[in-house]
Amino acid sequence: MPRTSRFEGRLLIAPLTAFLIALLGFPLVLDLIYSISRVGFENIRTPELVGFSNYAKAMADPEFWAAAWFSLRFGLIVAVIQVVAGLGLAVFLAPLFARRPWLIALLMLPMMVAPALVGLMYRLILHEFVGAVPYYLLEWYGDFPAFLGRDWAFTTLVTVETLQWTPFALLILHSSYAAISPDVREAAALDGARGRRLFLNIDLPLMLPAIGITFFIRFIDSFRVFDNLYTLVGPGAGGSTTSMSIYIYQAFFKVGDIGLAVAASMLLLAASFVVLWVINGLTARKAPL
Amino acid sequence: MTRLKTLLTSAALFATLGITGAMAEVTVLGWPGGPEEAGLRKAADAYNATATDADKVKLIFFNRDGFFDKLAADLAAGSTDFDVNLLATYALGRYAPFMDPISLPDASKTTFPEKVLATMQYDGKQYGIPTDLSLHFMYYRSDLIEKLLSDADWKAKYGEISEKYLGKKLDPKDPDAWTWDDWMATALFFTKSINSDSPTRYGTVLQMKNLLFNMMVWQSTARAQGGDWMNDKGEIIVDSPAYRTALDIYKKLYDEGTSPKDSTTYEFAEANAAFGAGQAATMVQWNAAFGDLDNKEKTPAVAGKIGTVAPPAGPEGRFTHIHGLGLGINKASKNKEGAVKFLNWLGTADAMEIYARAGGSPALSDPVVAKVSAERPDLVKLGQFAGAYGFVMHGGTAAKALQVYELQAKEFTAYWAGDKSLDDALAAAKAGMAELLKP
Repeated sequence: MPRTSRFEGRLLIAPLTAFLIALLGFPLVLDLIYSISRVGFENIRTPELVGFSNYAKAMADPEFWAAAWFSLRFGLIVAVIQVVAGLGLAVFLAPLFARRPWLIALLMLPMMVAPALVGLMYRLILHEFVGAVPYYLLEWYGDFPAFLGRDWAFTTLVTVETLQWTPFALLILHSSYAAISPDVREAAALDGARGRRLFLNIDLPLMLPAIGITFFIRFIDSFRVFDNLYTLVGPGAGGSTTSMSIYIYQAFFKVGDIGLAVAASMLLLAASFVVLWVINGLTARKAPL
Repeated sequence: MTRLKTLLTSAALFATLGITGAMAEVTVLGWPGGPEEAGLRKAADAYNATATDADKVKLIFFNRDGFFDKLAADLAAGSTDFDVNLLATYALGRYAPFMDPISLPDASKTTFPEKVLATMQYDGKQYGIPTDLSLHFMYYRSDLIEKLLSDADWKAKYGEISEKYLGKKLDPKDPDAWTWDDWMATALFFTKSINSDSPTRYGTVLQMKNLLFNMMVWQSTARAQGGDWMNDKGEIIVDSPAYRTALDIYKKLYDEGTSPKDSTTYEFAEANAAFGAGQAATMVQWNAAFGDLDNKEKTPAVAGKIGTVAPPAGPEGRFTHIHGLGLGINKASKNKEGAVKFLNWLGTADAMEIYARAGGSPALSDPVVAKVSAERPDLVKLGQFAGAYGFVMHGGTAAKALQVYELQAKEFTAYWAGDKSLDDALAAAKAGMAELLKP
């Protein structure tokens, strides 16, 4: 590349680089300083450097690992259910969507609601004395489970998250399914492929990249769950529904241990980076195919 | 160039005027929403009607959710956006380093009882004028208790149930004479799954969510058994028999089904919904709930049929947790003079009358409360209970008091939900508190 073009390239990219440094770089540097400091609200302007003790404290805290396990389990289960449900709906409702595309807009509506409001809404719907669900279960069966209690809270949270975000998976997978050329299906049909065989051998392989992307987007989104969980059940009895986001929030605002909270978030950042790096590597390797 | 200079000079002049204007008024950060805001607005209007322009008060409000965290961040950052800010008893130690102590005007010493003024004191210094007091009532369905005290069949059943579940035969009593055992027996009696004749589904509704405020509701039970956070030597004593008994009272009531299954996610609003639906016979709840529960339009099922007394008695007596909300001076304030003037006025009987009539809940001395008792009869009980039964745990205003409540909420709810043994929960609470409350 000629020197002038290189200079122009750098010049053009400079504003974006400066923007990224200002927007991402500054908070990152500040976080790095806080993560190695003893810092609370009292000395937020004068943090005292203490080395890596915050990281050690987080790593030695069983609640940190419990929160990480909760988020991982929640993220994986929810992402799998949403992708399977989204895929099923995308395939089975494809003929309907082709005739009535406005139905897609209708199905997207749950995504328009703020997650915190979704949490509050279900808190009302599932409340024994004002909610419709316990009321009718009591009327019909004479009993109902404690939806937000210790034994059911996780299932309820998974259900709420799935109901709100499956439309997202449906949207991407429907687009992917609709993008498969009819010629490919026609050729397969001429070779005798029908129904399940057509789906498993033609549609599914062609949709795999979209399925993978959908899974990871939903996993990342569900792993960092906060709003609806916090408004629905909070950290739970004994911290039983504490996700990583809630752990960090509690350490920061409730306990006032800002160093620990930031160290935990940096560990989460590092873990996320490794995961994204692996995904990026896998995607890059698949690309030539 | 000349035009540019003129523009800059004008901008500087306007900015100076703006700053001067801002400094000339007292900005007060109040507790948003609810009767406290309504009360403060009326009081501020009354003050501004006679104050000079330089002393006029301007009110600002954050959202209530996360209020104290946001306030802590602002105070720590040295914000000058407000001169006077809200204070709460349990957060005094947290905010004290960023606030100026005040000298109480003489008027306030006759407006408020001593115990109420003490809710705004930390480390021997007064940090605010108390505006509202929160404590707990034992709410009960007066119609049901009336029948229980007079119906022979119900009395006999009550005796059977208390003997079966508590190991001793008890007779129904007037709620004002209840011990914690009497309350337990009443809760068991009015639980449908235990007594099929019960007109309510549950005998009580417990607030057992992992939430610091729920520890405040519960800890009157512990105090009545003789429990405290620390002894005089500063040692943490929450693993005492008193704490064990108090925790077991809630555990037993929950396990026996006297409270809704979802009680481990219940707080103020959920408990009110249960009681307001007419499906819980008793409830330990904040005094602030009374207005809505006794309102025929909001809760027709129970309005007019609610009795309130102080929480039951234990071996060590009868107690109710109290904490106050108040207003104090931001250390970074640019208009402390104006702030002091406003607080001095707010501590007078006239100001508190306006505040109380507009919906606030100040705990006032007898002569002052007598002036508003016709419109606010609940304030009479508030002052009486605070004076007779109010307590603050030893360490309850420490810098990390809120964190102590958070810790207790996590550990004690783990026990109630069956995730931890009593020994483990108390040991974890004790170890954590020792760390949080060390000098």
